[in-house]
Amino acid sequence: MSLTLLYRSALTLLVILGMTVSGWAGEPTDRIKETTDKILSIVKNPALKSPAKAQERRKLIRQAIDERFNWEEMARRSLARHWEKRTEEERKEFVRLYADLLERTYLGKVEGYSGEKVHYEGESVDGDYAKVKMKIVTEKNVSIPVEYRLRTEGKDWLVYDVSIEGVSFINNYRTQFNSIISQSSYENLVKKLKEKETLK
Amino acid sequence: MNRTAAEGLTVKIIYRSLILMSLLYLILSSISPANALELDPPAEVPDSSFRFGPELQVAQETSSSPKTGEALEPAEEEEDMIADPLEPINRAFFHFNDKLYFWVLRPVASGYKAVIPQDLRVGVRNFFTNLVTPVRLVNCLLQANFKGAGIETVRFLMNTGFGMVGFMDLAKTDFHLEKKDEDFGQTLGVWGLGPAIYINWPILGPSSVRDTIGFTGDLFLDPRNYLITSTPINVGIRSYERVNDSSLRIGEYEDLKKDSLDPYVALKDAYYQYRKNKIKER
Repeated sequence: MSLTLLYRSALTLLVILGMTVSGWAGEPTDRIKETTDKILSIVKNPALKSPAKAQERRKLIRQAIDERFNWEEMARRSLARHWEKRTEEERKEFVRLYADLLERTYLGKVEGYSGEKVHYEGESVDGDYAKVKMKIVTEKNVSIPVEYRLRTEGKDWLVYDVSIEGVSFINNYRTQFNSIISQSSYENLVKKLKEKETLK
Repeated sequence: MNRTAAEGLTVKIIYRSLILMSLLYLILSSISPANALELDPPAEVPDSSFRFGPELQVAQETSSSPKTGEALEPAEEEEDMIADPLEPINRAFFHFNDKLYFWVLRPVASGYKAVIPQDLRVGVRNFFTNLVTPVRLVNCLLQANFKGAGIETVRFLMNTGFGMVGFMDLAKTDFHLEKKDEDFGQTLGVWGLGPAIYINWPILGPSSVRDTIGFTGDLFLDPRNYLITSTPINVGIRSYERVNDSSLRIGEYEDLKKDSLDPYVALKDAYYQYRKNKIKER
């Protein structure tokens, strides 16, 4: 009898706690959560684990990432001052190649999934910009702080940068792109991106 | 509720009451005048009289909002990177370290990984982390981070006393007290010293002038350098720690190489950003 009471009060507590937790999180966090959950469900799905299904699994993960990331924004920010000098054609090609590289980078990180836990640690919104903080705890009990930066253009919140342990993707690629362009040329950068694409 | 879960809970409760006093101390130290000073930006709060409670929270909010605003809208990014006048030498050492990793460190670490179970390897890492607590503790103090110093003290006592001389990180797993990863390089950064230039040392890897000074300074705080005076044994222990650590991180460097167009630049920038962030987030 007392046990049922215990269960009941525990349940009530859980409900209240769940309510407050969801009350804290804003829209950007919800969007990140949605995508993360989607990717986790694909990664965890036993039906997709066989090597024969690897291709399909990758396609599904790529789709999920694709929906949430603003590749053009990322490309623009990563090329920085070099973006202005590019023609419309060059920009399109670059966005495609860069998106492919980033997708593969991301894919590499999630495909090795082995029971990591995700904790959301709050968000900050400033007009059209938002930051969502989370912590990934590996099974080796290492916590990795991850931060998503999002921007809304009227409708959906889309990611334009990811930082892992304080290292921002777009900053890191910008430094690389800049170094390659200044030491050789933009054409050489595109060549290198294409080499990565065929490497897979 | 099953029995083992209930027992686990009791053990946790006992531990919890054991450190309740220390936690209280931490909370008290977090609202000490020293920290209030940190939170109150003089420009925002001209009234510098000491405040308690809710006012402190207000001060915290005002201090954090302009910071996020600035960080959220990097409209046109300026090129923020570390100076690298030694690039040719650095690149040479980068290639040396690359070969060292693929030809020596990775094979050894893989073999070690195949023989020693993961839990034990994590334990060894915890043990070394616990052993070098003085480095983190002293640097917390040098950065006037008294809360961090408190956490490090509690962690050391708890993990040494109840966590099998540091093999178990109870402070983290059971009490969410994470280590404060401070070193002298960061302390110098907090004091206002920039990294100067990038240095990619052979064997030791990415560093800067500031962090090299920091690394040397920390050697004086490392208890191993006082306990083990025989150089070959000292180096042997360090090499073992490196192998153990690498065995838990196989694949990270490979990923960096795979994801980058110029691994040397990618590593340099990752190091620079990582350190900058650590100094900022003390």
